[in-house]
Amino acid sequence: MSIPDWVEPVARYMLTEGLVGTLKIAAFALAGSVLVGITLGTLLTIKFLPLRALIRMYIEVWRGLPILVTIFIIFFALPAVSLQLEFDAVTAAAVGLILWGSAQVAEATRGAVQSIPREQHEAASALGFGWVGRHTFVIMPQALRRLLPPLVSLLVNIIQNTTIAQVIGATELLESGERQVERLTAPPPIGLGEIHAFEIYAAVMVVFFLISFPLTRLAAYLEHRLI
Amino acid sequence: MTAALAAGFFTDLWSFVQDNSDELLAGLRRTLVVSVIAIGGAFFIGLILGAARAHRIPVISPLAAIYVEVIRNTPILVQIFFLYFGLTQDIGPWPGIRLEAFTVAWLSVMIWGGAFNTENFRAGFEAVPYRYREAGLALGFSRIKTFANVTLPIGGRIALPSSINTYISVLKNTSLLYVISYPELTTTALQIQALTLETVETFTVLAVSYLVIVWTMSFLIRLLESHLALPEER
Repeated sequence: MSIPDWVEPVARYMLTEGLVGTLKIAAFALAGSVLVGITLGTLLTIKFLPLRALIRMYIEVWRGLPILVTIFIIFFALPAVSLQLEFDAVTAAAVGLILWGSAQVAEATRGAVQSIPREQHEAASALGFGWVGRHTFVIMPQALRRLLPPLVSLLVNIIQNTTIAQVIGATELLESGERQVERLTAPPPIGLGEIHAFEIYAAVMVVFFLISFPLTRLAAYLEHRLI
Repeated sequence: MTAALAAGFFTDLWSFVQDNSDELLAGLRRTLVVSVIAIGGAFFIGLILGAARAHRIPVISPLAAIYVEVIRNTPILVQIFFLYFGLTQDIGPWPGIRLEAFTVAWLSVMIWGGAFNTENFRAGFEAVPYRYREAGLALGFSRIKTFANVTLPIGGRIALPSSINTYISVLKNTSLLYVISYPELTTTALQIQALTLETVETFTVLAVSYLVIVWTMSFLIRLLESHLALPEER
């Protein structure tokens, strides 16, 4: 049994355009989520009620909304408020994922920071560290250890949720697959007049599985190892 | 000035809701119906397969493990695409399966929730100390009776918070049924938006609806949790 001729160009397009797009959105979303999430999560441990209420609100809103709805709001509703708030599909998807991901990270960070014993804060203060220095050099390095397993799980979720960008037409793996399904369905000379949705969507699932499975194993291993 | 603007916005919002209440309520109803079916199904899948995994029942346990890993490690949106667009294709002598949008709607989110719930329940049942089960068996209970009277009440409570988070995710995931044009809340809202061009109003109503449902669910859940808590944890 040989591989049909249509497979090679489809696979090449899906890997060079689609998979690269997926990894790009995922990288932005992960970096943004970790940065914003760790900052908000640490601020959440300060006993100042208005600040805590504000961050709590942020977390509950972006965790409560389906990511698709968040992305729709950024992509369709913000430009309706002001034309300066118009984003391309990739940016809108990345921002939507950052809002959701940072809410998850903030919640996890709060727990990790609060799990660091009080003596560590006192020792750092005694050494002359201010609030920022204390958290940057003493508390966060220790909290990161406990934060690592949830961050790996978050990475898996972010990679899987990049597919939601397909809905607004951003180029990522699922979108590239759908474009190829449509192209092949078109009559010659553009396509083949054949439906290959089964093979192509199965292939998309396989690629995501190959990326996610090692990462979920890693998350489980870290959780077992570090705590 | 700001107050007047805000008042104007709420008046607009209210007339928007009144004008489109029939469609919005129909969409909301479909979201809830699909969620209830899927959550019920995910509960039973999780209960049965989670018990099979925790007790290492031959054949069923490894198959359940494969099901869990495949579903948890692939995006639900691709699963929906596969069920709705992929399965219809004829493969050689096999005729394609054509599923209705409603079938794909509850089936896809149920399969997804079932996989996560299997893990939730497995972890819950495995957290029940072995000596409790030994005690049940020593009292002359059969294995099934031991499960029903010892492992289930204790392990089920341990699994409750995580399984409830799964149910909330199931409800939120129904929004993805937009891609198969199943007219649940999100699809309905976008149809209204396309017709009326009242973009800000549409998305405000859509977001508030989801937040009200999700927040209500998590509030009720905390009540249920404290109600079901084991006596020593109260």
